[in-house]
Order: sequence, then structure tokens, then C-alpha cells
Amino acid sequence: MSKPFFTVYCLIIYAFLLTPIAVVVIASFNAGAFLTFPPQGLSFRWYVVFFNNEVFMRAIRTSLWIAAVTMVISGIIGTTAAIFYVQYSGRLKEAVRIAMLAPLLLPEVLTAIALLFFVYSIGIGTQTMFGMIIGHVLITLPFVFINVSASMESYDPSWSMAAQSLGAGRFTRFRRIMLPLIKPGVIGGCLFAFIISFDIFTISFMLKNVGTSTLPIQLFDYLRTNFTPEAAAVSTCSIVLTLIVVVISEKMLGLRLHRF
Amino acid sequence: MNVAAKKRFGPLLLIAPAAILIGVFLVLPYLNIVVMSFRMPGQGTPYGPGFTLVNYGKFFSDIFYIQQVANTLWIGFVTTLACLILGYPVAWQLARGNSAFRAMGYGLVLSPLLVGIVIRSYGWTILLGNNGLINRTLMGWGIIDGPLPLMYNALGIVIALVHVFLPFMILPIMSAIQGIDPSLEAAARSLGASKATAFRRITLPLSLPGIQAGSILVFVLSLSAYVTPSLIGGLRVKTMAVTVVDALIDTFQWPFGSALALMLSVTGAIVVVVFGRLTVMKWKA
Repeated sequence: MSKPFFTVYCLIIYAFLLTPIAVVVIASFNAGAFLTFPPQGLSFRWYVVFFNNEVFMRAIRTSLWIAAVTMVISGIIGTTAAIFYVQYSGRLKEAVRIAMLAPLLLPEVLTAIALLFFVYSIGIGTQTMFGMIIGHVLITLPFVFINVSASMESYDPSWSMAAQSLGAGRFTRFRRIMLPLIKPGVIGGCLFAFIISFDIFTISFMLKNVGTSTLPIQLFDYLRTNFTPEAAAVSTCSIVLTLIVVVISEKMLGLRLHRF
Repeated sequence: MNVAAKKRFGPLLLIAPAAILIGVFLVLPYLNIVVMSFRMPGQGTPYGPGFTLVNYGKFFSDIFYIQQVANTLWIGFVTTLACLILGYPVAWQLARGNSAFRAMGYGLVLSPLLVGIVIRSYGWTILLGNNGLINRTLMGWGIIDGPLPLMYNALGIVIALVHVFLPFMILPIMSAIQGIDPSLEAAARSLGASKATAFRRITLPLSLPGIQAGSILVFVLSLSAYVTPSLIGGLRVKTMAVTVVDALIDTFQWPFGSALALMLSVTGAIVVVVFGRLTVMKWKA
């Protein structure tokens, strides 16, 4: 393949990847009552409609709340697991890794179904948020694990030993030596868990209790029956929210998020 | 606890929460699906007492479900192939292209992953619908008279799935190509191989592990996708995952839904294993 042709080919693929997202953002500024292209003038009217729509606002609050809880639980469990994996797992290293990545490798829809049956058969059901949060923690756990273990790989255990020889206890060693050094991985993993949790659909869809709805679920329900640009305004706000988290982590904190 | 025991079991406390979470809320639920698929269909309850094979009988006796599994496998296959053809050159460029382009390209490939799947599928409904951007534009230019059927069919599902899963094909191939020593290609070239021959005989075979990983990932993700087929396919074209979820949510047929989910998983797993075997053979040959 000649070089210019090759470059153009790649640019077309990049355009293909971005087009559907760009189209949603552009559609959200449509002044008309329906999704039409080109937009009938620019306006923020659908943002006003969206901000006054209590159903969507409640869904956003629920999503943010679930994402925050998920981030904290997943962050703690994933970090301790990553420390074990890098420092103590020994011969079990490969087994631990596969187990920790399993939620990522298994189809989400199957995990969702399996969890739904399970919470019912142990009598918890979906009256509380318990099942949904467990599902979110499962799905986000691998991302915390990957990020923390990546930053653990450059941690030298002899630093802990040096601290120990100077009289530092187990917890002090963790707090004063290890944690500051692996902090980028922990924060990166947590922020990533937050973003992923905010976007999870299938798990939430299967495990939600009647009356609660996360933003992706509300959007999905809305799209099944409505075609106004309000959904585009909702989507754009959700994209911007994710973007803010990514920009904060990558530009301000100088983190590199490990996605895989 | 004495000091030796503390040293031995202390670290296990680090992994304990994750082990309990995955053991209790991932492994047990998956085993539970298998049990559920043998339960009696319930009357007014999700499932009845006792065990039976009737759910599997219902699957194998109804051509509708078998056809649907076949359709889903076909959609998965076409999606995977399209992702491979579209993604390979991009992966190559990300691994070997000039660096300015590389950083931007990497960001562009990863960024769609940060946008929720509902939103990305929604973008495709805006593009592909009868009144969508593509049909409107083509009709406006006078190229077509009526709208092309792009949505509510397998074609639309494949287009959107390719978009959603393309990064999962590009990234493994990219890292496989990055792992190939560029001097191997240079050596082939110095021995008189043309650019195309060097690619075909050196780079392509050495990147097979990446192709294999990416293909399996995309195939499995396509089979189990729910949101995209549900929004793009509407009520007209249903993939197996959509049928399963609807059977569980709308009609509460838990045992039958489990049997359907397992049949799809088993057929998917068989395809993946056969594909894995074939590519490993090819790779060793």
C-alpha cells in the first residue's frame, strides 16, 4: 500500500470511530422538535428541557452515587488484591491474575443474569441496591487491579524492609512508604472504576429495583419510545462528565490510565 | 497467633475480600445458572420445584431458537471479520507509524471506549434510521429515491457492533506488532523481499497471536451484546442475547432463559476453541 493511501485509510477509520459520538453532540444543539440534519438552528432548549426533567436528574444523581460507592469499594478491594498479587502470590500468580480479570473476560450479560438469579436464590432480591452495587464492583475491580499492579511492578520490596529495619510497623510501612509510591495507580484505577461504573448498562438493567434507574437505563428506556433531541442533550452531558474525569486525571494529576 | 503464622497468613487477608467477592458473587452465580436451566418452569413464580430437561427440549424442538443462535453466530462472525480488516492497518500504523500521528491515533482509538454503549448505539440510530443522516443526505443528493434499509436489520447491527468493538481488535494487534523486532522485516527486505512479501511472510505471521486475541474478544463481545442489537435491531431482528434478556425480564421464564443463555455460551465457546486450534496450527506450520 502506498503511504498516502494508507494514511487516508487510517483517517477514515478514525472518522468512523468518532462520527456517531460527534453526531450525538451536534444533535443536542438542535433547535427543532425532532432530530433533523442539518440542525434547524442552534439552541440550548433541549438542555433546558433536560435540566427540568426530574426523571433524568434523579437518574444522574443515582448514577453518580452508585459510581462513588463502587469506586470506594472496588478501590480498596482491588488495591489490596494487587499488592498481594505482586508481592505474595508466588506460584499462584497466574491463577490470581486470571481470577481478578475474570469479570472482564466473561460476557457482562451472562454475569448480569447469573447475579440476578443468585441474589434471588439467597433471598436478598433486588429490593435494595445490594445486587447492583456488587455487580458494579465486580465489573470495575479488574480496572483497579490492572492499574495498581502496573504501578506495583516498579515498587521494590526492599524499601519496605528498610523501613521495617528502622522500626516502622506494618501499617506505617504501608501508609508512609508503599501508598505514596503506588498512589498514581490507585487514583487512576479508582477514577477509571468511577467512569466505567457510570456507564454500566446491562448489570444495572438486570439488577435494578423497581423505581430506581441509572442514567444509561433511563436513556435506553427513553430511546425506545422518543426521538426528541433531549436524549442527545442527556448524552452530551454524560460525555462531558466523563471527559472532565479523564482530563483531571491525565492532565492535572499526570496519570496514565491503564485500560488493559 | 504466633509470629510465624502471622507472617504466613497475614498476606492472605489482602486477597481475602477479592477472593470472597469473586468466589461468592461470580463463581457461585455461574454454577447457579447451570442448575437453574434444569429447573421446572414456574407457574406465576420464576421457577418451580424439581428438575427437568424440558427447557433444553424446548430449545432443540423449536427451529426458531436454533435459527436465532445461527443468526447471532453469523452476526458475530461478520463483525469480527470486518473489525479485523478495518482494524489491522490502523493497528500497524499505531505500532510503526510516525510518532506524532501515533499519540493522536491512540487517543482516538481509546476515546470511544469512554463513552457509554447506550450513547454510541444512539449515535448510530441517528445515522442509520430511515430519516437518519445517511439516508437524508443520499436522498438530498438525488443518489437514491427512497431510504436504504440500514436500520432494523442485521446490516445495521453489524455496522454499529463493528464501531463499538473495533478498539478491542486494534489494541491486541497493535501490541503484537509492537513486540515484533523491526530488524526482522529489514533483514527480509535486504535479502530481496518486496515490501508486500516481507509483510506477508514476516509481520503478518508474527502478529497472529494478536489477531487471535482480538478476534476472540470481538466475537465473544458481539455474541453477548445486548444494547446495540436491541436499539438498532428493534423488534424486527433479535439476536440471542436480546431474546434471553427479554425472556427473563418480560416473561420471567428463568429456567428456559438459563438454558438459552447456556446454549449460546456453549456454541460460542465451541467456535472459539475451534478457531483457537486452527490458528495455533497455522501458526506452528
